[in-house]
Amino acid sequence: MNKADRNKKSRREFIKSGTLAAAGALAGFSIVRNAYGQNADPIRVGLIGCGGRGTGAAENCLNAAPNVKLVALADLYQDNLDKCRKNLTDPNREDGQLKGIEIDDDHCFVGFDSFKKLLATDVNLVILATPPGFRPEHFEAVVAAGKHVFCEKPVAVDPVGIRRFMKAGELSVQKGLAVVAGTQRRHDPAYQETIKRLQEGQIGDIVSARVFWNGGGLWKYERKPGWSDMEWQTRNWYYFDWLCGDHIVEQHLHNLDVINWAMDAHPVKALGVGGRQVRTDPVYGNIWDHFAIDYEYENGLHMISMCRHWENCDRLIGEFFAGSAGTCEIVNDRYIIRGQKSWRYRGEKVNPYVQEHKDLIDSIRSGKPLNESRKVAEATMTAIMGRQSAYTGKEITWDEMMASELDYSPPKYEFGPLPVRPVPMPGQTS
Amino acid sequence: MSKKMNQGKQTRREFIKSGSINTAAALAGFSVLRNAYGQNTDTIRVGLVGCGGRGTGAAEDCLTSAPNVKLVALADVFEDQTEKCLKTLKDPDREKGFLAGVEVEKDHIFIGFDAYRKLLETDIDLVLLTTPPAFRPEHFAAAVAAGKNVFAEKPMGVDPVGVRKFMKAGKLSVQKGLAFVAGTQRRHDPAYVELIKRVHDGQIGEILAARCFWCQHYLWKKDRQPGWSDMEWQLRNWNYFVWISGDHIVEQHLHNLDVINWAMGTHPVKALGVGGRQVRTDPVYGNVYDHFAVDFEYENGVHLVSMCRQQENTDIRIGEFLVGTRGTAESHGDRAIIRTDRSWKYRGEKVNPYVKEHTDLINSIRNGNPINEAQNVAESTMTAIMGRQSAYTGKEVTWEEMMASELDLSPARYEFGPLPIRPVAKPGQSA
Repeated sequence: MNKADRNKKSRREFIKSGTLAAAGALAGFSIVRNAYGQNADPIRVGLIGCGGRGTGAAENCLNAAPNVKLVALADLYQDNLDKCRKNLTDPNREDGQLKGIEIDDDHCFVGFDSFKKLLATDVNLVILATPPGFRPEHFEAVVAAGKHVFCEKPVAVDPVGIRRFMKAGELSVQKGLAVVAGTQRRHDPAYQETIKRLQEGQIGDIVSARVFWNGGGLWKYERKPGWSDMEWQTRNWYYFDWLCGDHIVEQHLHNLDVINWAMDAHPVKALGVGGRQVRTDPVYGNIWDHFAIDYEYENGLHMISMCRHWENCDRLIGEFFAGSAGTCEIVNDRYIIRGQKSWRYRGEKVNPYVQEHKDLIDSIRSGKPLNESRKVAEATMTAIMGRQSAYTGKEITWDEMMASELDYSPPKYEFGPLPVRPVPMPGQTS
Repeated sequence: MSKKMNQGKQTRREFIKSGSINTAAALAGFSVLRNAYGQNTDTIRVGLVGCGGRGTGAAEDCLTSAPNVKLVALADVFEDQTEKCLKTLKDPDREKGFLAGVEVEKDHIFIGFDAYRKLLETDIDLVLLTTPPAFRPEHFAAAVAAGKNVFAEKPMGVDPVGVRKFMKAGKLSVQKGLAFVAGTQRRHDPAYVELIKRVHDGQIGEILAARCFWCQHYLWKKDRQPGWSDMEWQLRNWNYFVWISGDHIVEQHLHNLDVINWAMGTHPVKALGVGGRQVRTDPVYGNVYDHFAVDFEYENGVHLVSMCRQQENTDIRIGEFLVGTRGTAESHGDRAIIRTDRSWKYRGEKVNPYVKEHTDLINSIRNGNPINEAQNVAESTMTAIMGRQSAYTGKEVTWEEMMASELDLSPARYEFGPLPIRPVAKPGQSA
């Protein structure tokens, strides 16, 4: 057990006898001072997955709190790792030089098993930012190693992976580990205030919800000579079911999670449509470019979700609620309630990508570890349930997903041939 | 509701201002009212334009819907269609028994693209327009010009230019006092009528959200035969060509959209949709999509989410769902249900709405209060077209844009010969 864990443990034992505020007032325990001061115990961070998001997450983490050090990197590829290290240490960075990068060469690990080597170092917080296909195994290993986690969404691409993640999540709760997910809306005060008002009934009973991630396309990597199937797919990971989970899971999950949050529940069934209508070039692997799903929650509420990656089309990203006493719309950085009690968020704007790390680190240092593993797993499963309904053309229930043996993972994690599954065809795909 | 009320009903409403209809009838025994329910009614002479499966069925429904109705004329582009239709209707071994009233003389059978014009010159009182949808605006305009009452299958056009042409003819038909009933038979089904009445009476409170679905399997197709021109192939296999059918969101899902418009008393003002051609991609299926999902918005802010597909071996869901401040309403299969603290389920008579719509039409003609649904069904057709165009283009499309749109899918010439197929719509690339 490292020092932070020891501190946390003793703190938990301590606060059993009283509230946190009372405890702070009592005797000025160093741990309370440390929680927000410069003398906080160092958070030693290891980054697994050194692509664009991983690099960004590391930066967000370093900026989130004092005395945070990035000490270890792991990636499948040396060039990704080098580029990440170079970006973070660049003396001419636009946002000013980053403090806390203390990565020794012997703390840099490359390959499919690099995550294991990183976890054997003395890091106490791990950022999981690889493509989603690797998340369940990595998360499981992190929890086994007793590390706190920042975990990018989604947390899996298939039901087998979700259940593996959920199981590790339960263990992480038992171990008192902090787990914060990259569903940053949950750490944005504008969202928090809006959802609080919805849960307090400011629009009455919520009777209908709609969510959208209608955007254009993303980056792609053309295949280079000499790349094996595995290398091409892992570098161009967005477009392969087993790595990405498709864009409804990888991206639209954000919006689905907001409704789950407001309802404090997940849907129990889904019926959807979708397809690959425009983005059909083989470089785009086997994922679709649009989905629309009718979800139903246990209380009868329906959530309609629509997401697409279509260039030159209208954009719409947001969440909408209809209630018995009003409506709520969250779109274009506006948070608006209309009805008997109209309201608009006019509070502070914070960068939620930094705030989520601040909340994570504060929770570690305060000995009250946040653990979002269940929520983000449910949001991911929500998205997977919708995807499977659209892929198959069948109504899919939550219970079916929780029992499903669907497992997209490849037979072996090694560079070599790896056939691409056909693009899903409703009525034919199972 | 005001938009949905037409002038035919207006007349009736003005008439009954001075008292209940029963009072009026008791007062003076207006002949028009006696005729409405009497057996000694004037003969209704019917002409059928479009002798395919639906036309044949509509003719049968019409003949069985009221006494003293005669089918006297047929028109179709293809002679084999009129022959098959007549044979089916006159078959002495018909499953449902001999069909009375089929009195089509040889000189009342017309073939070709202009067959409808010749049929309209005969002494018919009522014309059934049951060709593929693309021809509807022109045929309806001609029927109205000829002063005929009309039963027309849905949809009422396949593009904004066609729907506006239909709407214009619809207004003229109201002015002329002609009856018009559409093949949106849910509006004539007592289960639906009762459900929507309860919704209008406020039993689920104020409507806050709606959903509707037509998710089903494939339809029939006709493989191309040697010797068929492009035009012949497309006409015989018409479901799969946008210029003829309007795509399945227009041709089929319109039914469900119409129910929500009916409940809302108006049409949506904008649409944002997705869709594609994911499974049914063989060229025999022309250029239509196999799925759509559209988020429609009404002027009062209520959203209707619609989903439709034609994909084999997928789950079927056909129905309409409303969510209100006090409960929900739903209709699917032959069920009509309201769920509130005082729930209700339709337990009344089950009526064949395909026959009932003709009964209502003929009664309305005979009692001198012609039903005219032209504007309603034209608006529902435009609703579906608006959704389709939003999915095809990937853009939000407004009602006003549709009402001003010059989109016209009709071919350069109506003649048998080459006719290239427009590419399947690609959102972000298709206008």
